[in-house]
Amino acid sequence: MKKQQLERLPLRARRSNRDTRIQSLDIIIVAILIVYAFLIIFPFWNAFVISISTEHAYLHSNLLLWPTEIDFSAYQRVFNNNQLWSGFGITMILLIGGTIYQLFFTVITGYALSRKNWTGKNLVMNMILVTMFFGGGMVPYYCLIRDLGMMNTIWVMIIPGAIDTFNMLLMRNYFASLPAEMEESAKIDGANDIIIFVKVFLPLSLPMLATVGLFFAVGNWNSWYNAMLFIPDNKKIWPLQMVLKTMITKVSSTIETGTVTEDFSEGLTMASIFFTIVPMMCFYPFLQRFFVKGIVVGAIKG
Amino acid sequence: MELTTIARRNNPFRKLGGKIFRSKYLIMMIVPAVIFYALFCYVPMYGILMAFQDYIPRFGVFGSPWIGFDNFATVFKEPRFWLAFRNTIFISSIKIVISFLGAVTIALLLNELRMRRAKKTIQTIVTFPHFLSWVVVSGFVFSLFSYNGAINSLAEIMGGSRSNFLGDKYFFFGMIFASDIWKEAGWGSIIYLATMAGIPQDQYEAADIDGATRLQKIWHITLPGIKPVAILLLIMSVGGVLSAGFDQVLNLGNNDLIREDVNIIDTYIYYHAITKSGNEGIGTAIGLFKSVISFTLVIIVDRIAKACGERGII
Repeated sequence: MKKQQLERLPLRARRSNRDTRIQSLDIIIVAILIVYAFLIIFPFWNAFVISISTEHAYLHSNLLLWPTEIDFSAYQRVFNNNQLWSGFGITMILLIGGTIYQLFFTVITGYALSRKNWTGKNLVMNMILVTMFFGGGMVPYYCLIRDLGMMNTIWVMIIPGAIDTFNMLLMRNYFASLPAEMEESAKIDGANDIIIFVKVFLPLSLPMLATVGLFFAVGNWNSWYNAMLFIPDNKKIWPLQMVLKTMITKVSSTIETGTVTEDFSEGLTMASIFFTIVPMMCFYPFLQRFFVKGIVVGAIKG
Repeated sequence: MELTTIARRNNPFRKLGGKIFRSKYLIMMIVPAVIFYALFCYVPMYGILMAFQDYIPRFGVFGSPWIGFDNFATVFKEPRFWLAFRNTIFISSIKIVISFLGAVTIALLLNELRMRRAKKTIQTIVTFPHFLSWVVVSGFVFSLFSYNGAINSLAEIMGGSRSNFLGDKYFFFGMIFASDIWKEAGWGSIIYLATMAGIPQDQYEAADIDGATRLQKIWHITLPGIKPVAILLLIMSVGGVLSAGFDQVLNLGNNDLIREDVNIIDTYIYYHAITKSGNEGIGTAIGLFKSVISFTLVIIVDRIAKACGERGII
């Protein structure tokens, strides 16, 4: 879509019908959406109820829709669990260090590629675009990480994430959409490219930086894939989600036979799940517009 | 004197040097990216040579013996690989269809919902699961469908009996589709909703004057309005038809009863070539097979879309 069209796109849909009478169609729509929202919420609720129930209540009540025997000991065990806290610490390192690192390299690359024809720009651009459609696959990548000596180190969760092509192109398109005259006039005033980038373009792109930064932050918060592949032996530097994954796998292998372990691991797992998602649940309603903006701008332009 | 100055100014090498010098800061900014893509994208592409070798880590890609297409022959003779291949095609083609239908339906419902407040709240609720990892979602699924879980309890109340859902490979596929809809449909609807918001209002006004009903307006204005975006997104999803969702299948299929039956290509590579050493060549061969097919599909679909007058992606 052209730029002008994009700028006319409001993020919220306008009312498409001026008729304000309530029709039966409205009631059907509301009913379907309420059922759908309920289906989305139910797993959260179910997990929450299990996490604050006793094992006795979990095993003997029929449908645990409402907590019958409230017991917060699962949360107590979560807060006393060293592995979870260590995972939390590692995840915080990824969240802060990793996000800044990714944002820095993604944004400077996007900026450089958004500027007018400098020598070699097209070559670099094509080199990057090829990687979007073709790659070496999982095994050569694994061998590369192994040969670089990054196995079982924390660096494997940070360094290879430096540039995310999709977000980089998002930034590039955003910088390219800002008026080029600003660059020209700053050049006439004697500014070089780095000063123009830092003093002119960065301050203008804060909303986009927030969007891209938040996507990186969520990715780092949810990071487990790299840990599973490349840190199989070093539990000390497992991030939170990887710790959670091993807990869930352990529980699922006991619950499929109907036996429950002594310390009610189902309750502990559900409490740990809440430990990992509560921060996101708190922030999401306020940050939603940034995420929505990212996906809309990215999909329409890219 | 003058002539030499002109000659110097027209010297192509000097010109190039001057151009590079003028953009030296931009080039400095791009250097990390060049190193990054060369190292983490192009070195693995070079590693594809392993597909044609009996790879021995000690000797590396330079020293391992060449064996031609033997790795491919080994893989193609393996029934479990073809099972993974069929699972992949099955899972991703159904997922493409249902996630498309789900996202469009939700977008239409939200677009027709006339209460602003409720719309915003529902949108917040239904887009949130997108930001959960598959680890968390698998925790939810296991707790809902476990032997003592809510679904089995519900079945018992309705007069049925408890059953072991998680060990059933046919149930597994249903679980994959349901959890995919649960997690991604709300998020997928955003892009369609934004497109619907961009449809010019005068079309709806003209339809009002002609006495069109709401359903007619949806059918004749809203749906054609989102068609280009829908086609674009479908084209992009076809390229990923051989990636049926590694994270999802790995987390949801991770128990001994079904693990080998529900493999997709990516989890097959993971279980057979990464957690077991000595199969690097075979794993690379499968990866190459997958990349080549995906790449070909993208090209074909793109050509078809362009031939039909839609905007392509390449």
